[in-house]
Amino acid sequence: METVTRTGPLSGYRVLDIAGPLGLHCTKLLADMGADVIKIEPPSGDESRRTPPFKDDTPHPEKSLYFLHFNTNKRSITLDVEKPDGRAVFLELVRKADVVLETARPGRMDELGIGYPTLRAQNSGLVYTAITPFGQTGPWRDYKANDMAGIALGNLLYLAGEPGEPPLQPPGEIAYGMASTYGAFGIAVALYHRLDSGKGQYIDVSMHECAGHIAGYFIPNYGYTGEKPARASRKGEETDLYDPYATKNGYARIFIIPVELWRRLVDWMGCPPEISGPEFEKMSYRRKHPDIVTKCIAEFCAKRTKEELYDEGQKRRIAVTPINTAGEFIEMEQTKARGLFVDMEHPVIGKYKQFGVVPRLMETPGSIYRPAPLLGEHNKEIYVDELGMNNDDLVALRAEGVI
Amino acid sequence: MSKFALEGIRVVELTTGAAGPTVARVLGEFGAEVIRCETRLRGDGHRGEDPKLWNKKPDFMKLQRGKKSFTVNMQTPKGRELVRELVKKSDVLVENFGLGILEKWGLDWPQLKEINPQIILIRVKGMGRTGPHAADLTYGPNVGNTMGSTYLWNYPNATTATAEPRTQHPDFMGGVTGAFGVVCALIQRKKSGFGQWIDSAQQEIGASILGPKYLEYTVNKREPKPEGNRSLIAAPYGPYQCKGDDRWCVIAVYTDDEWQRFGRLLEKSGLKAEERFATHLQRVRHKEELDKWVTNWSLQHDPYEVMEALQKIGICAAVVQDVEDQFKRDKQYAATGYLVRLNEPEAGEVVTENVPMRMSETPGKVRGLAPLMGEHTHEIARNLLGLSDDEIRKLDEEKVLY
Repeated sequence: METVTRTGPLSGYRVLDIAGPLGLHCTKLLADMGADVIKIEPPSGDESRRTPPFKDDTPHPEKSLYFLHFNTNKRSITLDVEKPDGRAVFLELVRKADVVLETARPGRMDELGIGYPTLRAQNSGLVYTAITPFGQTGPWRDYKANDMAGIALGNLLYLAGEPGEPPLQPPGEIAYGMASTYGAFGIAVALYHRLDSGKGQYIDVSMHECAGHIAGYFIPNYGYTGEKPARASRKGEETDLYDPYATKNGYARIFIIPVELWRRLVDWMGCPPEISGPEFEKMSYRRKHPDIVTKCIAEFCAKRTKEELYDEGQKRRIAVTPINTAGEFIEMEQTKARGLFVDMEHPVIGKYKQFGVVPRLMETPGSIYRPAPLLGEHNKEIYVDELGMNNDDLVALRAEGVI
Repeated sequence: MSKFALEGIRVVELTTGAAGPTVARVLGEFGAEVIRCETRLRGDGHRGEDPKLWNKKPDFMKLQRGKKSFTVNMQTPKGRELVRELVKKSDVLVENFGLGILEKWGLDWPQLKEINPQIILIRVKGMGRTGPHAADLTYGPNVGNTMGSTYLWNYPNATTATAEPRTQHPDFMGGVTGAFGVVCALIQRKKSGFGQWIDSAQQEIGASILGPKYLEYTVNKREPKPEGNRSLIAAPYGPYQCKGDDRWCVIAVYTDDEWQRFGRLLEKSGLKAEERFATHLQRVRHKEELDKWVTNWSLQHDPYEVMEALQKIGICAAVVQDVEDQFKRDKQYAATGYLVRLNEPEAGEVVTENVPMRMSETPGKVRGLAPLMGEHTHEIARNLLGLSDDEIRKLDEEKVLY
């Protein structure tokens, strides 16, 4: 039986997650908001269990830190839906579920006999969600794409990196993340709609289209002016806007747009005569004179630590931020004060700290109440206790390689 | 039955920048009525400071399409009173001003719930609404700095601070995540009857996809370093240079089957796969030579040829598109109608991105143009706030509806 009390606005909803990496963040958002997410893994384990990094650099299905992050609060069962008995068990699960999430290539679920029309016939209130690289329609619908491909087509990759060097992928999976976020939003909208109508629906999310939303204002700007930015070095022009400055211990960014911020900065720097003239109050003028502006600010920053610049700059209402490492972020006073990382214990990983819930609903907050599941950890709990199978069934299904 | 899932939900927006407006925009696309409160005293960051350009900025159109504009001077007691009236009749309030402003206006949660206990308030802040840095002033480009993203977005052993592009992706993911939070709170409200407030920190939302990096620190006790375009699970992997000026195509080969097909394709071009690339381990070990070998082939082809040729044999490949490609060569965007043209009254045609998902029962859509400054002020004053024409004229003269 379930022993955990879930909190959060989605508690009471059950989600069947048969998705690959494209959907990991989607069901994490749902699970952290209280939904009961059942992760359906092939008997050999979800592919994200094989994704680095690993604890102590030791590849092992229970030691992937990638898996550990994205599967908090989820329960795991093994099930081979390609086998007839597996399909039958899946349909039984669907009858007791509110949401199904899949990321298979278009048409694949139908081939397996578990496509939307079949599932809807079992459960008319079902919210069926497919997140795929290109959506279910269009000339590229059958194409394969990983996260980097999504970012590449979305124009963000082209802009990252130094001119002359290859474009550079970001440290996190932004295209997967955005597609998953839209998926979770769509699911919440569909569940809200269902409260009155009782009707489920089909949601088709395209990573390619989601990725187009991340890059910023390039699409509207290009459509309007034909302006086509390229990878730009963070040196020289526009330095006052984007270039992080070297400090005594790393870098800090000073982001200046409104003129008050420029005035506050000049004041903080003690009004050096080279940049105190009224002409420097215009961003266009500053951009034309990086030799003066950059040099002056760089000298100022070089004498201070990034933390000093951050604390004093923010006190003066200037948008200064330190360029932190991941560890520095975890150790930041702000991160600790907000309790962003929570203590967890995992049977294989041991005790550790895990990233918490976003966003924070103050009356009915979600929580991280369980680490990522072991492979098939909840087989007995779900198949026997909840679906009412007996132990002989389990043994038979295991012998058949279904679970 | 309503066609839009969020029909009947009224959202009031007190925002600037991008993350807050994105929360409201996304809700609007699924049926919510969005009233953007703004003032002629000063255009926000995206309308710009020059009043002649207020209604002509394409970035503004992207963020504010489908909304109503209600101009109100919050410096006046009457202006604040009108907005309090407005939120009394609304379901959601989105704000992302600096800490203390909402408090000053009498609209922070303790005061707001007295006015309307059923409302959902979402406070979108760079660093969140609590903690010693709650009052930080941050813009989009600041948000990735504190959480490690800026640092990690770089080449291995880099001597520069970062190679991250000039964008602010946490603003957009933050906006959609915030909208997710709002709909969760609406579900809760429908079940239990109460409203609540949501603390939505862009920094934390951006950080939420970097979890494995943080676990390197908390589990493996080491600081993750920038890795560039590295992968241990695919080879070839990354952007490969193609024919043309600064043209690239991402290629990723994961399995031995894929490698066999890839090798056969390149052999047709006269490139014989070397023995030392035979297995995944060997390909990872000899990544540099492998990359050169692949580039010998890719350099002879337009990036779209590379993409199509590889996709035809079931290999992940994608052109590194610039924005012009997105308009002119992306067949998928063209076929699905992703680029939506808005005919704005003053700006003329502005192109923006469509809703990136389809819902069978309650689809979302771009429901309208971006509002002119104050376009709906009188309509809202009359119909929603119940003011008479005389009262409205007086409030105009007093620069309250301004």
